[in-house]
Amino acid sequence: MAFLAELGALTDDLLAAVSGSSSNVWPRREAAFRTLRNNNFPRTNQFEVAERLSGLEERFSVVGRDGLAEALRTRLAALEPHRNQYTPEVLHLLLELADQPALNSKLSD
Amino acid sequence: MPPPTERAEKQAAAQQAVDILHEIATILNCHLDRRTLSICISMIENGINPEALANVIKELRKQGQDVQLESAEAAAAAVAAAGTRRR
Repeated sequence: MAFLAELGALTDDLLAAVSGSSSNVWPRREAAFRTLRNNNFPRTNQFEVAERLSGLEERFSVVGRDGLAEALRTRLAALEPHRNQYTPEVLHLLLELADQPALNSKLSD
Repeated sequence: MPPPTERAEKQAAAQQAVDILHEIATILNCHLDRRTLSICISMIENGINPEALANVIKELRKQGQDVQLESAEAAAAAVAAAGTRRR
């Protein structure tokens, strides 16, 4: 019960942060809540995550974005001392949300 | 309960981890601000699958874009209707 309350509060925060609008919120909240509680997604494979990240690093270098490759390498090394059991899952989320970084990422950001 | 200094150190370390993850999110062009990332981390720590979470975020963004498009179309239609009435 406490878990559902916590998840409900976090879902509300996520809705406010991502969509920011208050119109038609209830059906969207329910749909989001349903997807989040859906257990049909495969579990994160930390080795696959590491492989995808090193593949990205390599791709950045291949397309001439060496600065980006170096920035990613540095940040991943800096993350090592802070690693915990959830780190691969958070990195998995970031990989799922990545939007053509080799083309669109700017180092100035 | 850990002493206050230990708690503060743990909090600072957690903040630092979020900072680094936010920088990685920026490098990967994830369009996530720090607040949204913190909410996502809390959800993952509560057992939410990252792929499910990514799907929800993408769907919410798509719905947000659709709403914006609808409002822009409605505003354009209102301007066009006002122009017709004036004539």
